[in-house]
Order: sequence, then structure tokens, then C-alpha cells
Amino acid sequence: MKVTVNDVSMDFPQGTSVIDAIFAAGYDVPYFCSQEYMSPIGACRMCLARIGAPRKDREGNWILDEESGEPKIFYFPNMMATCTTQVMEGMVVDTLSEDVKNIQGGMVEFTLINHPLDCPVCDKGGACELQDRAYEYGTGLSRFDFDKRHQEKHHPLSELITLDRERCIHCKRCVRYFEEVPGDSVLDFIERGGHTYIGTLDDGLPSNFTGNITDICPVGALLDTTSRFRGRNWEYQHTRSTGMDDASGSAIMIDGRTGRIERIKAALHPDVNKTWIDDGTRFGHEYVNAEDRVRSPLIRRDGALTPVTWEEAAAFIRDRLSGLSGKDIGIALRADATLEEGIAARALADALGTGQLDHAPRPAASVIPQQSPATLTDLATADAIFVVGDVTEEVPIADLRIKDALKGVTPPAMMQHGVPIADLRLKEHPVLQREKLTVAAPYRVDLMKHAGRAMQYPAGGEAALFQALQAVAEADDAEGGLRLDEAQRAGLGSSVEDATALVQRLRAADNAVLVYGGFVLASREAAAAAAGFAKAVGAKVMIIGPMANSYGLELAGVGPSHARYAYPDMLEGARALILSNLDPAQDPDVRTQLEQKDFLVVHDLFITETAQLADVVLPAKSVFEKDGTTVNLEGRFLGVHAAPIEGGESEDFVGLVGALGEALGQRLEGRSVRSARRVLRKRFEIDPAELGPTGQLYRPKGRTTAKVTIRSSEAVDGNVLVTPSMLRIEYLHRNPHLNALSGGPRLRMGPADAALNNVADGDAVRLRVGGVVRRATVCVDDKVPPGLMLLPTLPEQPIGLARADLSTLVRDERELEVAG
Amino acid sequence: MSDVADAPEAARPITSRRDPRYEVVMYRHVGVDGAWKLDYYRSHGGYEAATKALTQMSPSQVIDEVKASKLRGRGGAGFPTGLKWSFMPPVDGRQRLLVVNADESEPGSFKDRYIMEDDPHQLIEGMIIGCYAIQATKAMIYIRGEYVKGYQRLVGAVREAREAGILGKNVLGTEVEVDITVHRGAGAYICGEETALMNSLEGLRGNPRLKPPFPAQAGVYGLPTTINNVTTMTSVVHIITRGAHWFSSMGTEDSKGTKLYQISGPVERPGVYELPMGASFRELIYDLAGGPKGGEAKGFFPGGSSTPPLPWTDEYLDMAMDYGSLAKAGSMLGTGGVIVIPKEKDIVDAMYNVVRFYAHESCGKCTPCREGISTWLPKMYQKLLAGLGTREDLDLMEEMVRNSRGTAFCPLADACAMPVQASFKWFRDEYEFIVDNGRPMYTKNDWWEA
Repeated sequence: MKVTVNDVSMDFPQGTSVIDAIFAAGYDVPYFCSQEYMSPIGACRMCLARIGAPRKDREGNWILDEESGEPKIFYFPNMMATCTTQVMEGMVVDTLSEDVKNIQGGMVEFTLINHPLDCPVCDKGGACELQDRAYEYGTGLSRFDFDKRHQEKHHPLSELITLDRERCIHCKRCVRYFEEVPGDSVLDFIERGGHTYIGTLDDGLPSNFTGNITDICPVGALLDTTSRFRGRNWEYQHTRSTGMDDASGSAIMIDGRTGRIERIKAALHPDVNKTWIDDGTRFGHEYVNAEDRVRSPLIRRDGALTPVTWEEAAAFIRDRLSGLSGKDIGIALRADATLEEGIAARALADALGTGQLDHAPRPAASVIPQQSPATLTDLATADAIFVVGDVTEEVPIADLRIKDALKGVTPPAMMQHGVPIADLRLKEHPVLQREKLTVAAPYRVDLMKHAGRAMQYPAGGEAALFQALQAVAEADDAEGGLRLDEAQRAGLGSSVEDATALVQRLRAADNAVLVYGGFVLASREAAAAAAGFAKAVGAKVMIIGPMANSYGLELAGVGPSHARYAYPDMLEGARALILSNLDPAQDPDVRTQLEQKDFLVVHDLFITETAQLADVVLPAKSVFEKDGTTVNLEGRFLGVHAAPIEGGESEDFVGLVGALGEALGQRLEGRSVRSARRVLRKRFEIDPAELGPTGQLYRPKGRTTAKVTIRSSEAVDGNVLVTPSMLRIEYLHRNPHLNALSGGPRLRMGPADAALNNVADGDAVRLRVGGVVRRATVCVDDKVPPGLMLLPTLPEQPIGLARADLSTLVRDERELEVAG
Repeated sequence: MSDVADAPEAARPITSRRDPRYEVVMYRHVGVDGAWKLDYYRSHGGYEAATKALTQMSPSQVIDEVKASKLRGRGGAGFPTGLKWSFMPPVDGRQRLLVVNADESEPGSFKDRYIMEDDPHQLIEGMIIGCYAIQATKAMIYIRGEYVKGYQRLVGAVREAREAGILGKNVLGTEVEVDITVHRGAGAYICGEETALMNSLEGLRGNPRLKPPFPAQAGVYGLPTTINNVTTMTSVVHIITRGAHWFSSMGTEDSKGTKLYQISGPVERPGVYELPMGASFRELIYDLAGGPKGGEAKGFFPGGSSTPPLPWTDEYLDMAMDYGSLAKAGSMLGTGGVIVIPKEKDIVDAMYNVVRFYAHESCGKCTPCREGISTWLPKMYQKLLAGLGTREDLDLMEEMVRNSRGTAFCPLADACAMPVQASFKWFRDEYEFIVDNGRPMYTKNDWWEA
């Protein structure tokens, strides 16, 4: 449809909002209530413009202007809100005339009358939409000289978000965000008229995605408590990077000041996280500034760790390793290391002649789908989705993309100005097409409340689940009908009718997606059954690896030459170990083993339990301080960019290898990010330096064969299910706000089990799970199946069933330490 | 079927209660003890219209009859009812709904109240006919929470009707199914706005919705919904009983039928008067209500506080009380609730009372109403009444209401702004007096005393 905005005429598809036409034409109007990816509601009345359009007569001909002979423009009697008006053929939009300017000035004046003059003390200053619009469209001095309304200021909505009710301009973005994006309606307006304010009915904000409201609030009403009063917006240095807290590859903006991270915000990636990030990614940065970070290399002399230079440390390591043969040395990285770090580790391993190289946690099965890999866009446009696991904790952004699919609205086409401001397809109070979604998990997960079908199968029963479903799928084809025995029926976690309906729905769908993660990957049998089932029903597959770069490190072949050299097995066999960001000494038996080693090098941010045993401690860079590349669960190569953070002499593994290479007198590949990237370019035909903000999907023409040796997997008959967690438990006690919100790691159990073990809700306890000593707070929850306890994962304690000796469950008198 | 064009009376429409051909139909049972009972209603011809519609007419014939009558909605907007009913989409298996707007919160309106208290079965009968016409099997009455007696009488009447087989699966022994739920509001004027009403019914905040989609396309719970005022439904009963041509023999060119006019303020006999449309204000105010009491009047609201007030001159007093005449005069018929403004009531004080109402009732969704009408405008009036106003303040107030008019999300802001603008137009001298002298021009406030 042809639309003329002031003097610019353009064509727009039907359904485009007038405000988007205005911006596409290069003009602008102010707006507060519209928000990309959310419903337009026309509440703030800032975007008013004068609009007219030609009309057709009864015969369908344009009514012509008598003088000009052109179709006559009939102007609407009132100014129209351009965000909720659709373009019409021949529409004429005026945003520049005196009338429009006067109304814009009038609306700014109205908006400001109750808004407190907080700019000097408000965190939003400098990045405030109200400041900007008032400056651009306002009339200058306000004529309102009465008392402004007074409401509660600095009200803690949760431990993470502070609400200043006076500053709220009632745009309703936060209310609509919660309802439309995560589907957790936890905020609403209370009272009416001039007394309206934002509030909750629950205690706090029960949702994994609350922080996004601090991004979208146009004023300083909703603020990130972790960065409150930490700096002025124009002082922050903004670094766009990729979140490394999970496998989503979410785009983030790191705001730093004077060498510290103060705040993480979401950045735009239309195909991955849109403009949303989860609370773990957003608020879990405080550990980076912790006071007890290791700032220089340390060598143990006379029992004490003494600061030395990198050269000294590297020489020391070279000397101590020189007497050992390859098979005596083990190298392990945490699975959120960058590709470049992985390349460097491989180069180092080759130089040292060892095949004992691995990344951890690494599940028993491959994290790379062998056929029909799904992207997050596939997930967001799927018409049938089957999730096995707790995706809301495991890779939270997938939960939001699933809800996109349930809303039935495809991603918007990008316009000249980017994401459309007012997508008229999005409506308030969306009705989710729940029948598209089936969620299966060993315990009740949040996403089940949005699912048309929920299946709760016995913990550890992923293989049985998929095998039973496979039988259903095969019976669907075969003549004989379905024959499931008692055990298979039990393994389904739901009725046979439900399972049949699920299979049929997946089959009939044009775009079916199967999503699974740690629970399935814990067993090769289960993973194979899942892949087979996906093939049988024609579904694409999305696999969630345990950490940010699990996909990339597996793809790059950062793994052992033999199964017995894998981690954690290498901890037993090797005589010397170089461990990067791993802390296996949390298991007392492993601790004893490590004490026997000839040589232990620990590369980490803090003096962990393992570092306390080390001969050399090398300061590591956090994920916000590295330049590198990561590959998310879609197989998308994404850039990780260093923010200017003061990390002392810390280096990532590339830096470590560079230093060690110098000491060894060898030019190792991966001695620098540049040289590591040469390897990556050659291997993957992707240039990490040229990735750009959206990255690049890696889809080789041939099959992607997993280069990593499959590790052994034994079926565990466990009583503790280690579950995925949005929060990084290993840093939780160093993230005081997230720690306060979550109460620390929770050991969830049903009331019967609590009674049996003589613990009560809220008790701080210690428990040895699969060897690792865990500290947690008891949470009695009747939704947990009896005989099972749930505990969130650590890198050293991967997702899946584990065995706990319940006699080691004791009350822990010591408070969980909070550092930083 | 009646044909309006051939009606012999069309050349001489009934526009006065004095016309011998006119008779009161809607309010004839109001004030009669026990009139709300089913037995009483039935013994006075009750449910005969519904029986006729359900057994002798098809749904589309009912709609045609209502269209032919030219009935316009009695809730204030005056939208042609037959046309509104025809907006319902074709039957497609989804639940269809009729909602009756009994929120009646417009200051100056109280006509629906006595129907619900004294003649609830008339409303139920109208709803049965309406449901039949739009093929809805469920209907809801949204009655303002303050009408406790009306609610009790309605609930009682619905129960009687159900027990007598007048509501339920086989209405009046036919295959037609209609049932009614009575839902109480909770004290919000804005919930009389049809889209806010629907939100309130759904349990959401009573904020208005965007239109389009219109209720017929996506109404309560997204289902096809028609919303009508109480006395629109009761009018339908008589249209079916006596025919469209009877209805359209009353009234003027653009406003047909019999209408309940209300009059309040210091007059001898305030109340509800049923008149043919086109009757004059003079007939209502002087002939029926006995004229202003205790002094002169200087102006009146023609149709509720949302309608711009008019001065007390022959030009306006002799005007026909119909939609077109009032629109031409720069005002509106609204609900036909006349409010008389006595001469010695200061207009600034009177308008402050009006503005306070809208300020309190603003839903808070949009900026001009929440900040302008609900916050700034009452404070300006307070300033004037405290004797601290200036001439600049008057200009500011006029600019404020100008910026609130036509810019807000729903007409509530207009409903406040337009009367304020009219008060400036017709009574500016009083505004100027109060700012120049620091005190109101008139100070009498005690008309309620004997």
C-alpha cells in the first residue's frame, strides 16, 4: 500500500502500523507504550499524528477532489494514535505541522506533571526515553505548579529489581511484557486514574525473566538493583558480547565503568534471544568484581601461594612437566571456554604429547544433532513441540521462543529502522495455542502449565520414554496395533492415548521440533532413542548442551584420544594436571587423589578447593573479559568480546598457552587469539573476526561427525536427580543479589522424605551426592516425587541421576559464605 | 410486516406527550407495588412479544423489524440497534453473547434503575427477543454494583423465569435456548464503556479496549458479542408487540420511538418521564417537571453530565430532544438526562463538581485523561475556588481541555472536556468574576433544603 509520510512516499505491506511507516520513511514520532516484540496498545497518546486517506464510493471508485482530480484525502476528525492504526492505500500522514507539534508538546507536558524531578539521582538519566522525548518534543517549562502525587519510592519488587512508583509513566510495558513474553502475569496496575501504581499480588516476582523490564521501562521506575547507583549511563563503556551462562548464545551488552562490570543488559539478536535475556545471565555478574579474585600467577613455596610473574610461572611449569611423558599429563577446560581456548588447549596437548585432553562437563552423548538440527527460529515457528526436560532452567531463552510458537505469530520482517515498533499482529492477553506443546520431565516443571500435554515420567527413564514412544510411532504405521507392556506403559509418564496423540501431532506437523538436554544426554541409550524417535516422526532436533560452548568444543574436537583419558577419569591416571575453571576437589575422594599428584596447575578466577592443593595457580579471565568465539546450541558461531574490566594479570587459556609456549620455546597454534582463529578459519571456513553481531550458523554440507570420543556411561540408579539451573551455582555465593533471591542452592524433596531424613523446610544442610560434597537449603515441595531429591547442577556434578548416601545428610551450621 | 413509508401517520409524527395518540408503554408498571413479579407481568401481557418473535418470526425478521423501527441505542451513543445486531458474524459454532449494559453511571441518568427494580421482566423479555435475533444462547446483564435493589429484583426475576420455563433450554416451550447471568460491577463509571465493560466481565481491569476489533467480531472472551443498553432492550419488546411502524410513527426524522427522559436538579417534580422523541425541553422541564424551583435557571445539561451544557434560552428550551437537533446545537442527547443548573449556583463550583466525577472515574490508561482530566484539571478548579486563580489560569484550562479532547484513548476525556469547554463558552463571565474577585459570583448551595 502506498503511504505518504510528510514528503516521502513508500510502499508497505497490509497490516503495517502507521508508526512503523513513519519511522521507515525516516521521520519519527515520540512513543512510550509501544515496544518491539510486544503488543501495541495506544495508551500513552504520544504518537498522535494527523492522518487522512482517500475513500471509495459505492461503485468502488476513488472519490476525487474536484479541483485536482486526484483522490480526495479525507482526514480523520481527530488525531490518530499511529501505533494502533493500520496503513491504508493512499494514506497521508502528517507529523510535522503545527497542530501535531502542539499536541506532542501537550502530551509531554501531561506526562511530566506527576513525574518527579529525580533526574539528578535517577539511574536512568542519560539513557531515559522520557528525558529524550521531553527534550525533542516538549515545550520547555512546565506550567504545573501543584503538588505532584507521592507514592512509594525504591520499593523492592524483588531482590533484583527496585521500583520507584512516582517515576512510572504508566506505559504498561512491564505489565504486558510479563503477560506476553514469559507468560508469567506477575505485575499489574492497581487503583485507577491518577492514583494508579504498579504492584504485584505475589511475594516478589516469580519468573526467570524479570530483569527484562529494567531494559524496557522507558524511565527510571524499574531499575536493576545490582547496578543501582553504580554509575551514570554516559560513563559506562558498553561492550556487546555473547552470554556464556548457558548454551543459548544470547546477545548481551556489558556495561563497565572504571574497570568493573556494573550491569548486563540484553542486546538485540532477532534470531536468538530477540531483546530478552534470563535473570541468571543478567544479574549473575557480581562474582567478576569479587575481592578475592586471583590477580596474579601464584607458585606454592613453603606451603604458601606466592605471587610471581607469568614468565616465572610458565618456566616453573615447563620445568616440572619436562620429566613427564605425554600419558602422564592431563588437561581439562570448563565447557564454557571459547573455541580459541579449545584450539590452544589442543595445541598444548599436542606439544606435550598427551591425548588426555577434555572439556567438562561433557555428557555421555553428543550435543550435536546428527540430523535435522533446529534453530531457535524453527522452534519459534514450530507447530508441534516436544520438550523433554526443564528448558526454562536449562536454556531459558528456548522457553521464550517456545512461547512465541504458542502465540502463533511468526517473527516480524525487519524494517528500515529494524524491528517493527508496533507489530499489530500482537495482541494483549494472547491466548496460547497450548495444544502445540508437550512437555515431559521427571518432576513438575513450570513450562507444563503452558503445555497442552504434560508427561511426568520416572527419573532416569528417558530411554524407556523414547523407546515406548518409538513403539507407539511404529504401531501408528504397522497393522497390528499397539502393544505396550506394563513397564513401557509406566515409562511413558502419561496415558497411551496421550502418547498416540503426541506422535500423531508430531507426524502431522509441518514443522515439528524435539528439544532435549541433560537428562537425555546422560545416557547414550536415551540419546540414541531420542534421535531415532525424532527421525520416526520427522521432527527437527534441538539438543541443549550443559554449558555455553559445549557444542563448539565438541565440534572442534577438544577431547581425549581414548575413553579412559576423558575427564574426570584422567584425574585418576594422570600424574600432572592442568585444570582450567574446574574444581573437582569438592569430592573428598578426588581431593585425596589430587594430593598425590606430582604436579597440579589450576587456572581459575578464585582460590577454589582444588586451587588450595595446586602447585601453581594462574589467574583466569571471566567470560566477560575474553575475546573469542562460542557456538550455541543451534550451531551458530558467535563472537565473545572483552569488556574493559580490570582483572589484574588474568589471562584466558589462550594467554596461558601463549605464556607456556614461550617458555617451551615453541610457536604453538593458539598462542594468541589470532593464531587460534587461523585454525578455526581453515577448519570451519568461518572467519571469527568477521562474524558480526548476528554470528553465523554452521551447517556443513556433509554430516557433522562428532570428533570426540564417546565417554563411557553407566546407568545410575540414583536417589538424587541433579537438575538444570538458570543460576550458576558455582558462583551463586558470590552473586549476593541472586543468592538472596534464591536462598542459595535448594535441595528439593517431598514432605515424606523430609520427615524420613529429619530435616525441615529452610534447613541449611550438607549432603554428599555422587561423591561431591554439596551445601544446600532444604525446600519441601510436594510436587517432588517420593524417594527422590532434586539438586541443581554444578560443572563438577552434571545433570542426571546421582547416588547420595543419605547418612551424610546433616545440618550445616556454617552460613553459606558470601564474598565480594 | 409493517412498511414505514406507507404508514398513514408518517406525515404527522407524534412528538409530544400531549398528543392523544401517545401512550406510555415502557414505564407503565414502574411505581406499582409488586409489578416486578412474574404473575403481575404475565397478567399484563407479559412475554407475548417474545412468544410472537420466537414462534412467528425468524431471527433475521426480528432484526429487520428492529431496523425498520429505526430504534437507536438508548445508552447514549445512539447507534442504530438493528444495524448493530446485523454486525454479528454468521453462526459458526462459537458461543454468541448478548450483554446488557446496566452500568448506568452517567450522572443524571437513572432511567434503567426503575426498570430493573420495578419491571425486570420487561428487560428479560427484551433480552430473549434480542438473543433470538442475534442467535445467542447466553446473555449477561452487567449491573452497576451500587444498584443493590435492582440486582436483587433482577436475580429474583431471572429465577422466576427459569422456573417457569421462560429461560433455559426451551424458552416458552420452543427450541430456543437462552439463559441470563446477572453480574455486578464494582463502582467504575468507565465500565459503562462497552469495551471496558467486557474487560470487567472477564475479570480484567476495567480499561477500554482498542476498536477494531468490534465486539461483534471479538467481544467477551473473544466471542461474537452484542452490547445494548437496558432500555434499548425494553424498546424492542414494544416494537415487536406493536410493530416497527408504530415505533417510527413517533419521533423526528432521525430519532424515532418512545424514550425515557430524566430530569434532576432543583425542579418541582424531578424524575423519569417517558416521552416520544422530538418532545421539547420545555415540555419536559415545565409541563411535566413543573419548572425550576426556588428561582431561575441559567442553563441545563441536556443528556447527562457528559453532554455540553446549554444556556437557558427559548432557542434551546424549545428545541426537540432528539439526536440531530442537539448535535447541531453543539451538544448531545446522550441518555436524555436533563440536569438543571439554577441561576444562583456558581458555574465554576458546579463544573468543579462535574470535573471531580470524571477525575475520580478516569481509568488511568492514557496520559491526557490520567494526568489532564484526573490530576491537573481538578486542581485548577480548586485553585479558582480558593480565590487564587488568574486570567492566565483560565487560558491554561482552556488549552488543557483542548489538548484532552480527541486525543485520549476513549471518550471519557471528551465527556469531561466538552462540558468544560461549553461552560467557558456560555458562562465565561463567572470564570472571569472568580479570578478577578477571588470569590464566586454566586454562592447559594442549599437547594436540597426545604
